[in-house]
Amino acid sequence: MNKYVKLFKVSMAQEFAYRASFVLWRVRNIFQIFLIFFLWDSVFANPDKVVFGYNRDQILTYVFGLFIVRAIVLSSRAIEISGEVARGDISNLLIKPVNYFSYWLTRDLSSKTLNLGFAFFEVFILFLILKPPFFIQTNIFSIFGFLVSLSLAVLIFFVLLLISGSIPFWYPEAAWGVNFLFISIFVEFLSGAIFPIDILPNIFQEILALTPFPYLVFFPLKVYLGQIYGLELVRGILVSAVWLVLLWVLMKNVWGRGLKVYQSHGR
Amino acid sequence: MRRKKGSEKHSDRAIIVEHLHKNFEVTEKEKGLVGSIASIIKPEKKIVKALTDVSFSIEQGELVGFIGPNGAGKTTTIKVLSGLLYPTSGFVQVIAHNPWNRSPEYLKRISVVFGQKNQLWWDLPAIDTFELNKQIYEIPNYEYEESLNELVELLEVRKLLNTQVRKLSLGQRMRMEFVASLLHRPKVLFLDEPTIGLDVVAQQKVRDFIYEYNKKYSATIILTSHNMDDVINLCKRVIVIDKGGIIFDGSIAGLVNNFARTKTITLFFSRPADLKKLEEIGELKKLDFPKAVLSVPREASAVAAAEILQNFPIADLTIEEEGIENIIRRVFRGELKSNNE
Repeated sequence: MNKYVKLFKVSMAQEFAYRASFVLWRVRNIFQIFLIFFLWDSVFANPDKVVFGYNRDQILTYVFGLFIVRAIVLSSRAIEISGEVARGDISNLLIKPVNYFSYWLTRDLSSKTLNLGFAFFEVFILFLILKPPFFIQTNIFSIFGFLVSLSLAVLIFFVLLLISGSIPFWYPEAAWGVNFLFISIFVEFLSGAIFPIDILPNIFQEILALTPFPYLVFFPLKVYLGQIYGLELVRGILVSAVWLVLLWVLMKNVWGRGLKVYQSHGR
Repeated sequence: MRRKKGSEKHSDRAIIVEHLHKNFEVTEKEKGLVGSIASIIKPEKKIVKALTDVSFSIEQGELVGFIGPNGAGKTTTIKVLSGLLYPTSGFVQVIAHNPWNRSPEYLKRISVVFGQKNQLWWDLPAIDTFELNKQIYEIPNYEYEESLNELVELLEVRKLLNTQVRKLSLGQRMRMEFVASLLHRPKVLFLDEPTIGLDVVAQQKVRDFIYEYNKKYSATIILTSHNMDDVINLCKRVIVIDKGGIIFDGSIAGLVNNFARTKTITLFFSRPADLKKLEEIGELKKLDFPKAVLSVPREASAVAAAEILQNFPIADLTIEEEGIENIIRRVFRGELKSNNE
């Protein structure tokens, strides 16, 4: 256990060594929030207008909540895995008595902790600037459901990154493309990180609800906002738990095969 | 103490490799954009045989050099032995473990140093990597302190411990790599081009260190190198690999015996003579009257010497084997063919 505590610290120190790039990354996040915030703010210029079942306060609350949930779920170090595999850097890890899933999960959590710390600080500032209607959840069940679904989201995203990170075992040139397709297209759009999923037609929503994506951002956030509760909450948690297990089994399988064809390039 | 007979048979062998084969599947790519697109649509797969029927065994405490031309399969062998590559077929055992299982007990007792890439955390001082390795290898406090002090002294890097790794020179970084890789005192050490890119002084430091480590801990060490001095100064035994197979396995002296094709005759004339005739006897390497150096085929050396003594006014004559440097140079170029072939 000590090794992961130490790794947590070292990983955070390494990330902090790139202070400039870290700060820029945070600035990017702030701008993104500004962008989405003002977009919706102008759509709902009239406070009584209701679009897609959202009024102004509700949508702005959603956008603001996105900020925190993104920092927790979508900030990740495991995104580097595909590059490590393609360049053969993962060899360094494979010759050490350390479990690589635990290794990357630790680095992931370390990164999330750092990002979350900054996100809270930024939220405070944005709050002062934008003065959005912010909703504080007080229902203990909703908070508990939020924490459970958030943990599942973190793990699902981690396993998804491990799976996409294994593709360079077979196609080393694909490392960048895979991440782009995966993170920018699938995850950002289908998870609710850009717009709430429930503005889509029902049929799309129902299909999406069967995929792991909405459980990354949309679902936990709606749980926090108290708009998903009771049976719907239980069903969502079950579906994401099943996905986590399925993806975990798939990931183990893919890695087992990948390591057998691994050519340890560049070393 | 009594032991079963069966287990005693292999007890002193640290590494056993039998009939090891390793194939790689590579996608052939035509050059240019059109070729790249074509390879996406219809990839041409090709099997490359990196290792074919490699067998050898190494005893506890031996320091063995793997030498051969580029792409011969030296690094591939090391990667199989360290558990990075999955063998296509054959038997591999290192200190009674199957490397591919990568069990923590195994990984705690070996170490791999690649001269080309590093494990140090680039943006942090080296000491951070060392402390992380202390935890990863579960090294007890007192042992860690002792190891660290010893390594830091031997490799002369104490002053640099708190310097960001990115600010170190290549030689300094390489020595830090050694510290990081040896803190857990591995019993088996794989060194892939450990002196590559280092200046002469740094090379010597690393070399002395490898020698000391091998003696002090009777660690088993496999070393690949393109550096002649590494091979000659460190390795009593060498394994020559070419085109994925072993073509020689034995002592350095044996290497000379097996592969020397020529002998060198050095002679001193007692008075001037017609030196043109000398070129008919052998290849004239050097002429600096009264001294001349001649290279002749190994088996014809006695005849050549007799001929010279008969036809020239000779004051002194010596016959020597082809230099080890020369032979190893030929190994690196991939020009060696066993005399038995």
